Amino acid sequence: MQVKDRNRNRRNIGLLALIALVLQLGIAPAITLGLGHPNFMFVFAAVVALSIGGQTGVVTAFVAGLLMDLSSTGPLGLSSLLFCISCYVLGMEVRDRIAEEPGMTVIPFAVAALGVSLCYGIAMLLYGASESLLEAIVFRALPSTLLTILGYLPFLFVMGRAGAGPLRGGGGKHRSRYTLGNR
Amino acid sequence: MPLTGKGTASRQGIRRGETHTGGRALIVTVVLSLLLMTLGTREGPAAVFSGARSVFQTVTMPVRYVGSLVTAPFTAAGNIMANLTTDQETLSELRAENQRLVARNAELEEAALSTERLEGLLELRSAYSLTSTGARIISGSNDSWSETVTIDKGTSSGVAVGMPVTDSAGVIGQIIECGPSTSLVRLIIDENSGVSAMVQQSRAQGVLKGTATGSLRLTLIRTDQTVEVGNTVVTSGLGGVFPKGLPLGKVVSVEKSAGALYYEVVVEPLSNADSLEEVLVITAISEDQRATAEDIAEADEQETSGLTKDDALKPLQIEEDDEEETSDTDW
Repeated sequence: MQVKDRNRNRRNIGLLALIALVLQLGIAPAITLGLGHPNFMFVFAAVVALSIGGQTGVVTAFVAGLLMDLSSTGPLGLSSLLFCISCYVLGMEVRDRIAEEPGMTVIPFAVAALGVSLCYGIAMLLYGASESLLEAIVFRALPSTLLTILGYLPFLFVMGRAGAGPLRGGGGKHRSRYTLGNR
Repeated sequence: MPLTGKGTASRQGIRRGETHTGGRALIVTVVLSLLLMTLGTREGPAAVFSGARSVFQTVTMPVRYVGSLVTAPFTAAGNIMANLTTDQETLSELRAENQRLVARNAELEEAALSTERLEGLLELRSAYSLTSTGARIISGSNDSWSETVTIDKGTSSGVAVGMPVTDSAGVIGQIIECGPSTSLVRLIIDENSGVSAMVQQSRAQGVLKGTATGSLRLTLIRTDQTVEVGNTVVTSGLGGVFPKGLPLGKVVSVEKSAGALYYEVVVEPLSNADSLEEVLVITAISEDQRATAEDIAEADEQETSGLTKDDALKPLQIEEDDEEETSDTDW
C-alpha cells in the first residue's frame, strides 16, 4: 500500500517538476521586474518541502537547483546548495503545511526565497558577475524574490484547492488516500 | 475501503512513519553541491559541465520553443504598447481606439515587421560582406544574473563558441555555449561582456562593457582624445573576434571627473534586447575585416602615449588621489 502511494507521490512530484521546468524555461524569461526573473524551480522545490519535507524535500531541492544551474550561466552547484539548505529548513516541520494552512506558508516561503536570492546575489558578486552589492540586491535579488513570491501564489492556490496534500497521495479533502482497490 | 483515517491525523501518521528527517540527505547534497562548484572552476571538469549544459539546452529546446510561442503575442503587444506610450499623453479616446485596432492587427504587423527585420539582416550582411548564418531567438535569459538569449542554431549549423552575433542594427553579442541545435549568446549589455571598440569619428579605441542598467560603458578612452555625444561606436576588430566596423551604439554622455585620466563614456546600444528576434551569426571573418597592422599600431601608439602621459602625470596623481594610481597601473 505504501509503495503504491509513494509511486503516486513520485508521479505528482514529476508532474509538478515538469510544470515548473516549462514555466522556468518558457515563461520566466518573459517576466521581468528590474533585472529579476521569477524562480519557478525554487517554487517547485519549496512546495515539495512544505508538503512532504524530509529527505524527499531535500533531494527534490537538489535536483531542482541543479536544473536551474544547468539552465543558467551561473556556477553549477550554487543553486542546488542554496535550495537544499532552504528546503531542509522549510521541510523541518512534521506536517503538510500547504494542505493544512496554505496561507501561513507564504511568510516562510518569502523568507526562504529572499534568503536564497540574497545569498545567490552575494555569491555572484564574489564570482564577478555583478559589479556592486547595491545593484546585486536592488536590481536583481529583490525583484527576483518578489516575482518568485508572486509565482508561488498560483501554486499555493492550486495545491490548497487540491486539498489533502496532492503530493502525498491525497486526491481531495473528502477522499481517503489509502484504499485497497485501484484508484 | 479506507485503511486509515482521513485528514490531518493520517498525514501526521504517515509523517511519523518517515524515518528520514532529511539530515543525511542534506549533508550529502551539500557536499555534492560544493563538489560541483569546486570542480566547475577547474578547467577539465568545467568542460564536462559545459557539455552537460549543452545537452540540457538541446533537450529542453522544445520547452523553450513552446514558451516563446506562448509569450510571443504578449511580447509583441508589449513592444507595440511601449512604442505607443511615448505619445500617449497627447492623445485620448482616439488612442484607445487605435490600440484596439493595433492589437487586432498585431499578427499581420508582426509578419510585416519580421519581413523588414529579415531584409535589414540581409542588407547588413551584404553591406559588410559577412559570412554568416541566420538564426531565430527562441528564449531569453531565465535567471536574474545574466543577459543572454538562446538561438535555434548550434554546432550542426556550423556555429561555434566565440562567434559574434548581430541583428540588423549591429552587434548584439557573442556565443558562449553551443549545443548541437541551440546556442547561448551573451549580449553586449551583460556585465561580463567586453568588446574591443572605437569611436567611429575620432578612432579613439577602448573597450565597451555592459552594465546592470542596460546601457554600455566605453572604457579606456583617455581625456586627451575626442569623444562627443552622438558619436557612433563601432567594433575595432582588435582581438580578431568581431569584424571591424560593425556598429555597436551611440554615445549618450561623456563625463570627465576631476583628475581622471579616462572619460566616463555611456553608450546606448543600437539594438533593443527586448525586441530581438532574428539574428545573424557571423561564422567567419575575412582578412579585410580584421584589424589591420595600422590599426594595431594605432592602438599601441594610443597605449604608449597614454603611458607616457600617465607617467608624466603620475606624481601629481599620487598626490591627488591614490585610486588614480591604481587606474594608471591597470592601463
